[in-house]
Order: sequence, then C-alpha cells, then structure tokens
Amino acid sequence: MNLNDILGSDVVDGDGQRLGEVSDVRFALDAGAGQLLSQGRFVGIVVSPRTASSFLGYERQELSQPWPLAQLLRWWHRGSFLVLWEDIAVLGSREVGLRPGFTAYDARLTR
Amino acid sequence: MSKAKRVQPQEIHAAPYPAGKVLDAQLHLLDRQVLDVDGVPVTTVDDIELSGPEPNEKIPKGAPAPQITALLTGPVLGTRIFGGRPPSSRLIRIPWKSVAGVDTVVTLGVRADSLDASWVERWLRTHVIARIPGGSHEPE
Repeated sequence: MNLNDILGSDVVDGDGQRLGEVSDVRFALDAGAGQLLSQGRFVGIVVSPRTASSFLGYERQELSQPWPLAQLLRWWHRGSFLVLWEDIAVLGSREVGLRPGFTAYDARLTR
Repeated sequence: MSKAKRVQPQEIHAAPYPAGKVLDAQLHLLDRQVLDVDGVPVTTVDDIELSGPEPNEKIPKGAPAPQITALLTGPVLGTRIFGGRPPSSRLIRIPWKSVAGVDTVVTLGVRADSLDASWVERWLRTHVIARIPGGSHEPE
C-alpha cells in the first residue's frame, strides 16, 4: 500500500458518519535498531474535519510566527485529531473506516 | 461532500507519545530532498510504500502496525497538475533500510550511483555529457 492511497480519503466512524479527511499519517521510529535508522512504525492518522491539506502543520506545533498566518492556519485546521492504528478498521483509497467507539487523541506533535 | 460530524474538544484525549522520533508524513517526509551519503542530491520523496494491508482490506483487531518499507519517487509532476496518480510500476523505490537520517533533508547511507532513482542522470552522463568534447574528464 502506498501512502498517497490514503492521504485525503474521507474518514468515517463505526456508524458510517463522516468525520473529516486524512490530512496526515504519523510514524514513529521506535522499533528495534535497523542497519542505519529504526523501522518507521505507522502510529495513526491525523483527521482534519475541514481540509485534507497539511500546510506547514501550524496546528500541530507551537509555532506562532508570522502571527497572522499561524492564527489563520490554526483556525483552519481546528478540531483536528489523531486516531491510532488500533482504532482503524479499514484503510481505503476513498474511505478510511474507524472502529466503533474509537478514541480521538490530541494531534499536537509537542508534549 | 456532506458536512463532517464534529468531534467535541472534550472527547479529544492527550496522545500517548512514542519513545522514538515522531514523523508526520506530510510535514517531515513527503517532498523532502533526498541526499546520498556524499551529500549529492538524488531526488525528492513523492510517496511512501507501506507494508501491511492492501487498500480496502479489512484490518483484523490486533494486527501489527504497518511499517515504512520504501520511499518512492517518480514522474509525478503531470499528475500533480492534471490529477490522478502514476501507476505504482512507474515509481522507483528507495528502500527504507538505506535511509540514514530524516531532517530538513532525507539522508541516505548509500551512494546515488547504487540506486535506480538516479538512472536518468547516469544515462545522460554516459550518452550525452560524455560525448561533448571535454565532457569525459573533470574540469582543469
């Protein structure tokens, strides 16, 4: 499977109700050491209720400059959340289905 | 497109933070320049190949998470402008095990000459540049 198959797909919950679009996919380099770099493990998808774009990621980082741009992009991506791999039922090219009772997590990259 | 159901802020929990480096594909990988071990530009990352389920395949509970198997590069300019995607067979793989670091650029641990991704450059060097008088040796 290629990543572009799922980026921009609609995300639906267990009842088939649309929640937004896949704006990004999160990976973690936390598996055992590889030859040069650790394996990239699929952590989850970032769901944005409004847009599939992922421009600069202001909503996921603590960046605040330039101020008008940061405010605009944070507002544009408001309500974005992260869904972990365990809560994904199907990864489709048109639709990504979540399991019933999925948990939405904060999508920010900083702790 | 129907209006999305709103997930209320109080339903959003603090995320568990993985132990290793966290990469968001669009922010940290896609469209980044790829440099080889000597710092020679190779290509850019156009797509990422994952292990794991085929598209639209049901994922059983407890299935292991997919992993990045390769970075993909290929002729995507036309499809970015006019839409669609090039077929997978047209994309060239750079195995993830050759990747040495991800920063503002993606660094490889191998030479560009050993990768399929640089075949156009090698072909031009052999068939075009080498035929130009003085093109087969370094500048003096």
